[in-house]
Amino acid sequence: MHKIEVRNLHFSYENNEEILKEINLTFDHRSTAIIGQNGAGKTTFVKLLKGLLKPNTGDVIINGINTKDITVAGLAKYIGLVFQNPNDQIFKNKIIDEVMFGPLNIGQTPTEAKENAIKALKTVGLCEKIDENPYDISLSERKLISIASILAMDTEIIIFDEPTIAQDYEGKERIKSIIKDLSAKGKLVLTIIHDMDFVAETFERTIVIAKGKVLLDGTTREVYAYKDVLNEAYLEAPNVTQLCQCLGVKETFLTVEEFIEYKKKDRI
Amino acid sequence: MKALSLYQERDTIVHKVDAISKLLYIGISIAISMILPYKTVGLACMGVSIILLLIAKVFKKVIPLIGFSMIILLSIIIIQGLFRAGNKTPVFHIVNLIFYKEGLLFALEICIRVINILCAFAILILTTKPSDLIESLVRRGLSPRMGYVLCAVLQIIPQMITTMETISDAQRSRGMETEGKLSVRIKAFLPLIGPVVMNSLINTRERSMALEVRGFSSKTHKTFLNQEQNNNYNKIIKIILILLLLLAITWRLFI
Amino acid sequence: MKKIIVENLKYKYPLTNELALKGISFEVAKGEFIGIVGKNLSGKSTLCQALVGLVPHFYKGSYGGSVIVDGLQVLQSEISELAHKVGIVFQNPFTQVTGAKLTVYEEIAFGLENMGIQREEMKERIDDALKLLDIYQFKDRNPFDLSGGQMQRMAIASIIAMKPEIIVLDEPTSQLDPQGSEEVFKAIQNLSKQGMTVIMIEHKMEKIAKYSDRVMLLHDGEIIDFDTPQKIFSRKDLNDYGVTAPVFTKICKELEIKNEATGLYPITLDETYDLVVKYNA
Repeated sequence: MHKIEVRNLHFSYENNEEILKEINLTFDHRSTAIIGQNGAGKTTFVKLLKGLLKPNTGDVIINGINTKDITVAGLAKYIGLVFQNPNDQIFKNKIIDEVMFGPLNIGQTPTEAKENAIKALKTVGLCEKIDENPYDISLSERKLISIASILAMDTEIIIFDEPTIAQDYEGKERIKSIIKDLSAKGKLVLTIIHDMDFVAETFERTIVIAKGKVLLDGTTREVYAYKDVLNEAYLEAPNVTQLCQCLGVKETFLTVEEFIEYKKKDRI
Repeated sequence: MKALSLYQERDTIVHKVDAISKLLYIGISIAISMILPYKTVGLACMGVSIILLLIAKVFKKVIPLIGFSMIILLSIIIIQGLFRAGNKTPVFHIVNLIFYKEGLLFALEICIRVINILCAFAILILTTKPSDLIESLVRRGLSPRMGYVLCAVLQIIPQMITTMETISDAQRSRGMETEGKLSVRIKAFLPLIGPVVMNSLINTRERSMALEVRGFSSKTHKTFLNQEQNNNYNKIIKIILILLLLLAITWRLFI
Repeated sequence: MKKIIVENLKYKYPLTNELALKGISFEVAKGEFIGIVGKNLSGKSTLCQALVGLVPHFYKGSYGGSVIVDGLQVLQSEISELAHKVGIVFQNPFTQVTGAKLTVYEEIAFGLENMGIQREEMKERIDDALKLLDIYQFKDRNPFDLSGGQMQRMAIASIIAMKPEIIVLDEPTSQLDPQGSEEVFKAIQNLSKQGMTVIMIEHKMEKIAKYSDRVMLLHDGEIIDFDTPQKIFSRKDLNDYGVTAPVFTKICKELEIKNEATGLYPITLDETYDLVVKYNA
C-alpha cells in the first residue's frame, strides 16, 4: 500500500478556474520536494493531502484512508503539516504545553505526550527553553518550535511548508539534518519550498508543478537537468548545477561536495 | 480583498454630493422632524429621503434594512395600540384585543421617525466611499491618526478573518476537532483566540513601524492627493439645508 | 561629508539584560552598496533600525554613542524628519501596506501627504516611483490584491517617493518566491545605479557577493569585519560566525582555486567560471 495515493485529482475553488488538473501521483518513502511558481497550485495540493480541502473529482488516499471519509482532525494521526507562519499555530503560554498539544489531541497519554515533546525539543535544539513563553523567543526559534510540535506527533508522513524562510545558515543545517533523520527512520517527508540549493542537498525526489499540472517528476538530479523546462516554470537550478551547466559538464551536480569530489578525481 | 463597507458604486448626482453635506442632511432632517413634530412634516422628510435613495439607485438595498426594523416597529405598534396610557378611542379589534386610535397614532409617529433616520443614514452610507468621508473629516480637523485607524479597520478586519481561517486550519491539522456537535465547535473556538490576538498584535507593531518611517507622526501640515469636491453645487446644497433648518425653527417659534 | 557616520553605537532593548549593539563604529560614503551579513540575532536588524531612528525612538531602551545620517543626529531627530533622508523596507510585504488606502497609487501617496508635499509634485513623484519599480500597470489595483513581489516593490516605491538618498532593506526577499525575489533585486540594482546609497541585510550570499561594494560581518552585536566581499568571503572563519560563503567561493576554497592577482577566492558565477576554466587548462 502506498503511503499517499492521488488519483485523477481535479480541484477548483467554488466553480472558478481549475487550480489542479488531472493529478496522478503516488508517494512512498522517498523524501520529496514540490517546487513551482507561486500560484501554481502547490499550497492547494498540500491542503488536499491534509484533508483541509476535498477534491472536486478524484481521490486522495492517505495510508489506505480516503480523505473524503474522515475529518481533518482524524487524519492528523497519520499526516502532519508544519505551517509556514509559526504565529498561525502557537497559542499556549509555555513551549512544553505547545508541543504537547498535538500529541494529546491524537490520543497519546499525557506521559507519552510529554516524552515525545521533550524528544522533539531536543531534536530541534530548544530543550533548555522548555518552560519559556513561545513569544519570548525569536521568530526563527519559534519556527523550530512549530516543527517540534509536529515531530512530537510521530506521524508517518510529515509535510513542511517553506521550512527555510527566515532561517540563517545554522537553522537551515539543523532543519536539513532533521529531515534526513526522519527519512532514515522510514517516514515520508514532503515539502513545498523555493530554496533550490536546499532541495538539491536534501531531497531525493522533486516534483515541479506549473499551472495546476505536474510538469516534471523524478529524482532531484534528473529534474534539475531539464534547464529549459525549469526556466519555463520560472525556476532556477541550484547554484552548483548552474556553474556546471556553464562549464559544459555533462553530469548534473547537486551539491558542492559532489562537484569537488568530481574535480579532485579529475585532477588525479 | 473586499473592504468592509456598504458603499455601492454608482454614477448618480447623489453620489457626487460630498460627504459633509450628507452628514449635514442627516442632522438637519432629524432636527426638523423633531422641531416640527407633525406627521406631515415627518412624512415629507421620509419622502425626500426615499426619493434621494431612488435617484441614487440604492433603494433596493435599504428595503431589507427597513424590513428588519419593521419587526421591531410592529411590536411597538402592537404594544402602543393596546396598552398606551390614555387610550380611549377603539378603532378595531382582533379576537378580544382592542386597538386604540391614540396609541396607534403615537406608534405611527415613532415609525416615521425611525424610518426617517434609517433612510437618512442609508443615503450617507450607501453612496459615500468610507475613505472619502473620513478624508473630509480629517480636512476639517479630525486627527489624522484617528482618520487612519477608521480607514484601516475597514480593510484589516477582512484580513483578520482570513488569518482566522488559516489558524483554524493549523489547529485542525494538529488533531483539534472542529466538525461535529455544537459543544465541539465551541471548544474549538478557544484555541483560535490566542493566535488571532498575537498575530494582530505582532502585525500591528510591524505596521506601526512601517507607518512611522512614512512620516505618520510628522507635525507638518498634511496635504491631500485627492481634490476636495467643494464646488458651488455642494456649497448651494449646504446653504439650502441650513435655510430649511432656520425656516423650521422660525415656524416653530412664531406659528 | 560621509553619508552615514556611526560612532561607538551601543543599544539595549527595554526589559533585556544584554546589549544588542556593543559599540559599533563605521562610515558609509554616498552611493555605496553595503551588504550586512551575520547569523540571526547578531544585531543586523537592530543596526538598520538605528539608522532610521526606530532605535531608539520607537522602542525606547538604553542608547549610547552617535549615529549621524546625512548630517542629522539620529538621537536628536524625529523619525519623520529622518524619513526625508533615509528609508527602510522590511521583510514582510503585508505589514507594510497601510491598509487605509484603496489603490496602489494612493498607497504611495501616504508618506507624501504626511510630509505636506503639494499635489502636483506628489503626482510626479508617484508616477516616477511607479515606473522605476515597474508597477505602473498596477496603480489602480487594491494593494492587498498584489502578489508578494509586487507588494514589496510597492513598499520600496512608497519609500523612494519620499526621496531619501539612503535606503535600508532588511531581508527584503526572504518571504518571496524566486520570481518575486528577482524582481526586487533588479529594482534595488536600478536604484543603486541611480546613485542611491543602499544598505541591505540578506542571507542569500550569492546576491550579497554580486551587488555589494563592501560587506559588514556582524556577530553578537559587534562588527567582526567590514571590507570588500572578496576579502570577507575569503575568510577561513566564516563558519565560526554562523555565516557561509557563496556557493562558488565554497567550491573554490575546497579546490584551492584563487585569483592569482589578489590571493582571494572568486565570489560570483562568472569569476568562478573564468578561474575554473583556467585551472582546467
